[in-house]
Amino acid sequence: MRGQSALFVAILACPVTIAPLVAAPAIEKSVVRIVNHAQRPSWYTPWGTGAMQWATGSGFVIEGGLIMTNAHVVSDSRFLALFLYGDPNPHEGRVVVEGHDCDLALIRPVEPKILEGVPALPIGGLPSLRSMVETYGYPSGGDQISSTQGVVSRIDRQLYAHSAADGHLAVQTDAAINPGNSGGPVVQEGKIVGVAFQNNKAMESVGFFIPTEVIRHFLADAKDGTYAGYPDLAVRTASLENPAARRLAGMQEGESGVRVDWIAPDSSADGWLRTGDILLRIEGETIANDGSVASGELRLPFGLLVDRRQIGETLPVRILREGARKDLGIPLKGYPENLRYSNQYDRRPRYYVYAGLVFVPLDREMVKTFGDDWMSDASSELVYELLFRPQGEPALLKKERVVLLRRLDSPVNANIPFFKNILVDKVNDKTIDSLEDLVRAIEENKAPYHVFEFGYFGRVAVLDRAEADKANAQILKDYGVAKDRNL
Amino acid sequence: MRTITCILLSALATLTLAAQTTRVSFESQVVVLVVTTQDYDEWRPWEKKTPETRTVQAVVLDGSLIATTADLVENATVIFVEKHGRPLREPARIVHVDADANLALLTVDKPGFFADLTPAALAPSMPTEGQVSTVRWRSGQLEISASRISRIEVGTSYLGALEHASLMVETDLSGGGWSEPLFAEGRLIGLTFAQDEKSATVTPVDILRASLESPRTPAGYREFANLELSWEVNRDPALTRYLGLEGEPRGILVTQVPWGSSACGALYPRDILLGLDGHAIDAAGNYQHRRYGQLKFTQIVVDGHHAGDVIPGEVLRDGKKVPVRLTLRPARSANDLVPVRTGGAAPPYVIEGGLVFRELDGEFLRTWGKDWEKKAPPFLMTGYDLFRTTQTPGRRRVILLAYVLPSAYNLGYGNLETLPVARINGRDVDSIADVDEAFRHPEGEFHRIVFQPNPVRAELVLDAATLDKATQEILDEYQIPERRRLRKTPLPDLGGACPDRPATHGAP
Repeated sequence: MRGQSALFVAILACPVTIAPLVAAPAIEKSVVRIVNHAQRPSWYTPWGTGAMQWATGSGFVIEGGLIMTNAHVVSDSRFLALFLYGDPNPHEGRVVVEGHDCDLALIRPVEPKILEGVPALPIGGLPSLRSMVETYGYPSGGDQISSTQGVVSRIDRQLYAHSAADGHLAVQTDAAINPGNSGGPVVQEGKIVGVAFQNNKAMESVGFFIPTEVIRHFLADAKDGTYAGYPDLAVRTASLENPAARRLAGMQEGESGVRVDWIAPDSSADGWLRTGDILLRIEGETIANDGSVASGELRLPFGLLVDRRQIGETLPVRILREGARKDLGIPLKGYPENLRYSNQYDRRPRYYVYAGLVFVPLDREMVKTFGDDWMSDASSELVYELLFRPQGEPALLKKERVVLLRRLDSPVNANIPFFKNILVDKVNDKTIDSLEDLVRAIEENKAPYHVFEFGYFGRVAVLDRAEADKANAQILKDYGVAKDRNL
Repeated sequence: MRTITCILLSALATLTLAAQTTRVSFESQVVVLVVTTQDYDEWRPWEKKTPETRTVQAVVLDGSLIATTADLVENATVIFVEKHGRPLREPARIVHVDADANLALLTVDKPGFFADLTPAALAPSMPTEGQVSTVRWRSGQLEISASRISRIEVGTSYLGALEHASLMVETDLSGGGWSEPLFAEGRLIGLTFAQDEKSATVTPVDILRASLESPRTPAGYREFANLELSWEVNRDPALTRYLGLEGEPRGILVTQVPWGSSACGALYPRDILLGLDGHAIDAAGNYQHRRYGQLKFTQIVVDGHHAGDVIPGEVLRDGKKVPVRLTLRPARSANDLVPVRTGGAAPPYVIEGGLVFRELDGEFLRTWGKDWEKKAPPFLMTGYDLFRTTQTPGRRRVILLAYVLPSAYNLGYGNLETLPVARINGRDVDSIADVDEAFRHPEGEFHRIVFQPNPVRAELVLDAATLDKATQEILDEYQIPERRRLRKTPLPDLGGACPDRPATHGAP
């Protein structure tokens, strides 16, 4: 399940010292302070090495000599320092696997023996509403471990701020979850019931933790050492609370469900579901007209039942199509095309520089070069192409839109009238559906000019090919661009 | 945009420039309008907002006329005139408004009202430099402030469709921009239209004169024209060579021609417009005006021309110079798919089953407040920015489900808002009248509203049999007097679609 919100913030901190705790019960012994020395590239200067930064988070020891934490605690890491309870010496750790869509990661110490004698915390279940939980970690305000207590106040689907595009089950608590708590265990009756991971700027005294159903999903996926991620139906559905809408859909009295409004091409649902189908049941559970299903004492969005499956498994659904009820088993797969909507980590930006023109793919990181308020600050054509145009033209999700991000000024390109944040439709009469298409269109051109046709308003720019080829190497040198591309 | 700066009486900033005779003369040429306006509530278009009263300036013209900027009398419920700084008020009547040119002419019907007033003499044209006087009445005193002409600039008028040269002045007047007249050597040179800090924008006498003279011509009022095309500068030698133009870069590259514009059928994307009406256009899109110097080329179609005129031009098309003739069409905000402003027109709307339908326009978007361009829903703003002038003969307006008045009848739809409608009951909807008509033709037992692609919802369905009863109950519940307001006057006739580009050979 995917969504958009800016309210949730992942929590990292740089703590200072307070007085030590009196005793060291079992839980504390298993909690680890993690200092991540990271290097994050700039999507505006994509050839650069990126700024160094450091932040602290928390983690805890689990079975197998591993430390579990949040993906956002260890993202873009160059060096991880682990501090065990009561041990002032840093120990190097290495990331084993990260799940950016569920904000979980596993670390292994370079010297496994340091975890000898440290208890692995057992993983429990979903805590009940109104039950008490304890959080442990190394939040801001000191170097020593801190624990807090709180009540489980809500269990619902939440946007996971780390990717900013994925939503999964999350538990809300009034236990203080502060910067630095990230990755720390949330415990009930001696068992892990969650991993602290984010709070919400719009709400006071509220923190969120990742429940064990998400943790177990991650561990099962990561068992082979790689993480494939969540399956994605990649459909948009509409509620059917209105009786007229249900009658038109041919639903019987008492029948409930949601209407399939939109399907992403080549997704799990594509070929199995059609626009206008009514989803009646999923995993044998009745879908209510608001899209919720019963789950124990809760009602949860039906998409969370898809979350409980792994890629490669089959999802049983019952649909109503043209008056007939059908039971389908939909083979589930991920939808990597949606990664364009996610924050990116642990990879270098893709780009291509030619004659001082910097081309990049249109994705969330590209529009974030306008800042956090990119949805209002980025140019309309970028926002429209990224978020809205695929609603009417889903096939665009199978393509990559390319943006002329900026210009490295040079006499050869100085007179181009449009040179930043502009969509490239065609180069040398070839439609550009990927960064690679653009590179080919430029490098294979034998005509005297390179002709760039941009999206919207019929804008066009031309480079003299011979002059551009001649200037290219010098521009790269002048601006310190070591490599002209990362495809 | 009219910008209000803090209004402080500043004796230091007010200079007595003119001799006593000039002051007396201004006293009989400049009057005050006390205008009460009441705008429509764009979210509840069946009602008006709280009335507002403001004091603005106006100038007396020949023929018992008073001129002010049109934006100040938009949605006026009553207008009074005060003369000679005395609070004795007489009701005024609007006799002519050109909202796109942003000029309004008023008169006072009371016999003898103009007897002690003097029509301002119009300057032959805008002065291009030097000191001028900005004049206004304030607390019964005539205030004459020094202003200095800084430049002449082609800009967009209030409604957003017309481009014309305006006078930019630096002024000692505080809090201006409310149609204060400016005089040079005792003659009227324009009316302020906006002021930001000390910089004022002045609608020039050239526009005023043409607006005044037009009603007196036998053909009646002739609107101003504009080109309304998308273009880019042609300063790049590589682009110029690629397009086959010999010599230095010059002219502008036409990139998009909206339907209904003066360029429709005469200019085409990839044309280089080299000249218009005998003026050469340079690579930056400027031409040399005989009095005002270098100006943006769009001024050519306003300078001495009106809608209906035919002007010659020259383009480079497919490497060949080709003569073209442009029949000038009126510059009207209403032509656009998403009009920037509607000039105070009552917003058309329809309410069916609690669903409030209206058109997308700049008036609606500006309800998101001062930073509306950042705060209005991105989905609407991207449409406004990218598709504002993409009207076609089959698509003149974007119809929105603005929001829903929640009731049991429309259960489940209460949180829907600002969704663009594509079809209702299988019929394309391109106006509020289309919406009204479509609801008379249910699809069997249902009304089915299909939206244009959007991130929220594809369609919604209502029960047809109970629609009228439910609508009436909702109108009663929400105390809404009228179920609909349709457009009183049809949208401007923009003729047939722009003809295809002439067949060419050897196009680059």
